[in-house]
Amino acid sequence: MKLIIYIETTKEFDLFLNEFDNQFECEVVLGCIELSRYTKTSFEDLLILINIANKKKIPVVLDWDILNLESRFKKSIAVLEKIPLHDFKAIRLQDPGAIEYIKRTYPWLKVQLILENGNHNLVGLKSWRNYLGEQCDKLILSNELSKDHLRQYASSLDVPIEIQVLGRILLFYTPRLLLSPLDKKNSEAAFLEAYGSSEESPHNGFPLIENQHGTFMFNVKDLYLLDHLNELSEANITNVRLDLRFDSLFENHVKDLIRFFKKDISEKELKIKNDHIRPMIKGFYNVNKTDILFTKLKNKRIQRNDEYYLGEVVDVERNNQIALLVKRDGEIKENIKKLKLVTPEGKIKEIELKWIRNSQHEEVNSFTKNEIILIPFFRGVTVKTQVYLSSTT
Amino acid sequence: MNHWTPELLSPAGSLEKLKIAVLYGANAVYLGGQKFGLRQASDNFTLEELVEGVAFAHDRGAKVYVVINSFLHDKDLEELPEFLKFLEALMVDALIVSDLGVIATIKNHCDLVIHLSTQASCLNIEAAMLWKSMGVQRIVLGREVTIAEAGKIKKASGLEIEMFVHGSMCMSYSGNCVISNYTQGRDSNRGGCAHSCRFEYSIDFKNTEKESLKSYFMSSKDLEGIRLLPEFIDAGIDSLKVEGRNKSHHYAGTISKVYSDALNFYKSHGHFLSSDMLMWEDELRKISHRDYTTGSLVEYADENSIYNQREHDDNEYTIAGIVLESRKNQYLLVDVKSAFLLNDNLEIMPFNGKISTLSLKFLKTISGIDIIKSKPGSVVKIPYAEGVERFNLIRKCIKNDVAGFV
Ligand code: SF4
Repeated sequence: MKLIIYIETTKEFDLFLNEFDNQFECEVVLGCIELSRYTKTSFEDLLILINIANKKKIPVVLDWDILNLESRFKKSIAVLEKIPLHDFKAIRLQDPGAIEYIKRTYPWLKVQLILENGNHNLVGLKSWRNYLGEQCDKLILSNELSKDHLRQYASSLDVPIEIQVLGRILLFYTPRLLLSPLDKKNSEAAFLEAYGSSEESPHNGFPLIENQHGTFMFNVKDLYLLDHLNELSEANITNVRLDLRFDSLFENHVKDLIRFFKKDISEKELKIKNDHIRPMIKGFYNVNKTDILFTKLKNKRIQRNDEYYLGEVVDVERNNQIALLVKRDGEIKENIKKLKLVTPEGKIKEIELKWIRNSQHEEVNSFTKNEIILIPFFRGVTVKTQVYLSSTT
Repeated sequence: MNHWTPELLSPAGSLEKLKIAVLYGANAVYLGGQKFGLRQASDNFTLEELVEGVAFAHDRGAKVYVVINSFLHDKDLEELPEFLKFLEALMVDALIVSDLGVIATIKNHCDLVIHLSTQASCLNIEAAMLWKSMGVQRIVLGREVTIAEAGKIKKASGLEIEMFVHGSMCMSYSGNCVISNYTQGRDSNRGGCAHSCRFEYSIDFKNTEKESLKSYFMSSKDLEGIRLLPEFIDAGIDSLKVEGRNKSHHYAGTISKVYSDALNFYKSHGHFLSSDMLMWEDELRKISHRDYTTGSLVEYADENSIYNQREHDDNEYTIAGIVLESRKNQYLLVDVKSAFLLNDNLEIMPFNGKISTLSLKFLKTISGIDIIKSKPGSVVKIPYAEGVERFNLIRKCIKNDVAGFV
């Protein structure tokens, strides 16, 4: 099992190195405020962190996970050009523009593709992987994928898969600055943090961040899958990521977590689950029913669906007549005298016509598409009833 | 002289709205089938309706783009090829997609043109180049991109560029919001968005003693780009898209009419210095909308783009009915969409020309009985008016209505 962990400061690196001594595979993700969504690491500090990693021979990966508007893209590239990219094992990218740029400009640099947004099918995952060819180091998949899907993908792909197993769950990312307008005093602050609760939602205390890249909202519960590492390993998901960047998680728990990865302590002995300020969940790891629960609002019975379709009831005058908007040209022959009506409630009525009139109440022998015709009243027929020529005729 | 103008692309949430949009001037419409699209709440099209809708649009020179922009799962992809074959036989003009798996499936099964949905949040030249290499012919840029940036993307990539000109806006980068997934168990990227960004939130800033602030801080104003049509044209933007497949017939007709009238004016004059500009803007205020903003069309959207209000309906106009039939010198048959009275302030929206008032000398049921009030879901007869055609919209001014009296 390979541990993926973000390190943002020299203090964090020290804490990490105090416990980590290469007993298991590990990859450290480094970023800087210009390229990463919510790190606080400055460009200068990034260079220091790279140095430490080099000295200690810790493999590091550069994080360029922001989405880049055209003007930001140029700034990102300017920063990137100043970073000693050869010191990195790979670069993590989500923006297709960043992917294209790195593929063209630095074909020797391995890419870890962040596919956490959508990408819920194997055809797409394989296409991304093939697009990068040899340059593809791994695919970082969405935490909305259930274990069954993860297992299937891991067995069908020829590059490693990484998933997050601990930390905040990102719900929302906008480039607009939404918090500073509420806090005029601190509106110049580079990093605002807040919590949002709504009476219209049963959930309270969504963590919020605003920085130069926009505003981010996280779930009220954090992800915790550390009790599933064996299962993941058996499913060939060998890269697991801890996100300890918030809520003093790194400071308070990195030691324990490394000991856990070293197998010095068991998962049950980890204090994080009990100490953490927010509840922890498994998210969609066991099952994802988000599209099953959503029932379509459309009443299927009022949708036309076959070749005998004649039209739709648009008006009903009780005990008198029904007005029909016809959808095909027709003549009054035997076969049109029998109709099948399907009401919005799904009731089916077979009726025989005694007469057909136009809107001027003249009896007619034919009608044209999109004309209103009148037929005798039948009990139980309402507006939006679908009318078909009886299929037996 | 005929000056070049971009395509006007209107939403078609149902077959009826498709017809209305095309007749009121849209050059193209976008619509969803029963599956694979993001607007599960709109009526969407059955296969039969697709056949009729495509024929209707094509007969009038309008294009039809079919939206397949959900983030599809493996099982969906298995079902997709059959639908693609159907759409190819129908000769739809393009598919709007956001997922690379869908693009790959399309390329394997048909030769239909691929447009990249805004859902893929394409924001820069390099991203456009990537999608171009994947076989995409047109990019619907993220709403965060300015017109000037869009012009550069077009020039550098050589791709067709489509931008939103009007309608509601997602506050998040499209495709980057899963609030509904975690809070409501509904996948927002598969049509289940619960619009949590429109809720009121109390905000507590970290490390301050300040009391909670209540705010609709995540709710975006609506986009309105009519004043920026010259900029779109100068930047060579190929298509101007209006959001709103879930919106009303009144909306579908009005935005199609207003924007096409404006673009047609430019076509013949080469400028927008029309005395009608104020009228066009006024018309856009008569359809259901939140406060308008130009979003990021000129500069990146700032705090003025936040709506910060509870959602409310203070429309001045509502649809009264749609003309079903016109019997010369006798009557118009009207499909009543919302109740109206004999003496209500009604207006008729012609496909071409100015909107005019409609005073009713009579109001009758379809069998000819005089009534003073129509009821929704019925067909009524009103006096014949010269020039009024099938699918013309009749709207009602409701600003002076008192609740309970209508
Ligand atoms: S909740 Fe709002 S921001 Fe999120 S997908 Fe829905 S409309 Fe967009």
